[in-house]
Amino acid sequence: MRPSGPKKLTVAQQYLWLRSTEVCEGSGRLYPCRLEWEFWAQPTPLSRSYRLRVLYGDRGTPKVYVVEPNLVELSGGRTLPHVYQQQPTRLCLYFPDSGEWTPHLVIAKTIVPWAYLWLYYFEDWLATDDWKGGGLHPGAENE
Amino acid sequence: MIDITAKKTQAAQTLELICQALELSQTQYDTAKSRYEAVGKWLSGSDDAALRASEIYPQGSVSLGTTVKPVEADEFDVDLVCRIPFVAPHTPPSALKQLIGNRLRASGHYKDILEEKPRCWRINYANEFHLDITPSVPNAACTNGGELVPDKKLKEWKPSNPRGYRSWFEERALIVPRVQSCELAFMEARAAVEEFPKQTRRKGLLRRAVQIIKRHRDMWACTREASIAPISIILTTLAAKSYVHCAGNFSYETEYDLLVDIVRYMPHFIEKNMVNGREHYFIWNDTTAGENFAEKWNQDERLVRAFYAWQLQATSDLENLPSLSGLDQVRSALSSSFGDSVVSKVMVELTASISAARTTGALGIVPRSGLSATGAGRIVVPSNTFFGS
Repeated sequence: MRPSGPKKLTVAQQYLWLRSTEVCEGSGRLYPCRLEWEFWAQPTPLSRSYRLRVLYGDRGTPKVYVVEPNLVELSGGRTLPHVYQQQPTRLCLYFPDSGEWTPHLVIAKTIVPWAYLWLYYFEDWLATDDWKGGGLHPGAENE
Repeated sequence: MIDITAKKTQAAQTLELICQALELSQTQYDTAKSRYEAVGKWLSGSDDAALRASEIYPQGSVSLGTTVKPVEADEFDVDLVCRIPFVAPHTPPSALKQLIGNRLRASGHYKDILEEKPRCWRINYANEFHLDITPSVPNAACTNGGELVPDKKLKEWKPSNPRGYRSWFEERALIVPRVQSCELAFMEARAAVEEFPKQTRRKGLLRRAVQIIKRHRDMWACTREASIAPISIILTTLAAKSYVHCAGNFSYETEYDLLVDIVRYMPHFIEKNMVNGREHYFIWNDTTAGENFAEKWNQDERLVRAFYAWQLQATSDLENLPSLSGLDQVRSALSSSFGDSVVSKVMVELTASISAARTTGALGIVPRSGLSATGAGRIVVPSNTFFGS
């Protein structure tokens, strides 16, 4: 008998999870090999509400963009920490190839909570200029 | 989407933490108490018959549980009354003050940390607090156990009733308001009070409101002529009267709504009467006859204007807080109302508690409420490493 380890989730399964998870209640589209999902995330009641867009396709990594508000404008000229791209802002939520995220994991229960957490530290950073969420920079030691 | 109730709850929780960071800690209180008791013992160990019968006890914020650290100094004011039960009729206040001063100077321990103030003696414990000791004598004319304390010029006695005021305030603080939300920051949940009466740490809404109000006044006064800012006894009295009115007549969705209403209704408890064709103001001490806390308002119109200007500002700052979005915005609004250092301290602690919950795996996301280490039904935040430049 062939060994049956945990299976990679299909794009459709990820889509269903996104659609049925309360903390990322929103709307999106499912295509044959990829998905788009948009939702509003507010890390705490007094935080801003951020519109996030998740893009995911077969064999890819989930990409999370902040659609609004414009984080670059909010940062008043400072360089945003822990992003792949300043504008449109794409968040770096996990360490690639570390196993923190693999296609076996549910985006709605990993990427989504990490995005909330990122946004929490972002507002702290806006006020203090100090990123307290820890993390790694490419080629650098642990912060 | 998160509703306004959750925002108000978070605002109340943040103010609760600010109050905790600003008040005399239990350890500091215990130290202050043992020090003033020692002073009391020293005074009553005197050869003087009047001092031997004297009794020392706290008045003002320490006795009410509404202490707030001063903005510019590290030292708390601990106001004390030294009550001398028997004095010869017509003894001037200055004579009693001198009697206390002489006795304190006779102590090797107190003489070097003693400082004379116009109305009282101050014993300085550097970087902690100072004890201000004011003499008092019984007020035969007061049926309520009131006392007489020196006036500002130390020329005459004026009625006061620190112990009566304390009971008056405590009675009001005990009133339980009608608040629908179960998420309480200032008050103890009722069931918890019944089960664990001794573990109650929460101060209740009135005491917290008074602390918030006084701190707001302190910060407001920083950018103005400090001597015209409304005095604490006026703020405390109006807040207590307003609290009774609001808690007795209305029901609130959140504690925060009640807090804002307390500040909003404060001016309603100022009595105005025409005296000699001019409007005079009265904020009576209900515990002794003849003490109008607003007496000075009738000599200096600027004090009246300052109170109303402060009250307007405080109401608008508190009303505005839950409508802000962005913790950075909240932080800057709180800093201007309550001081940058205390707000920074509270926000740093808040982030540290989020990070600690993240490390232990307790942190989760609760629908319509956000990050939480305890909320029911939360989606746990798995361990991750933020990457990227």
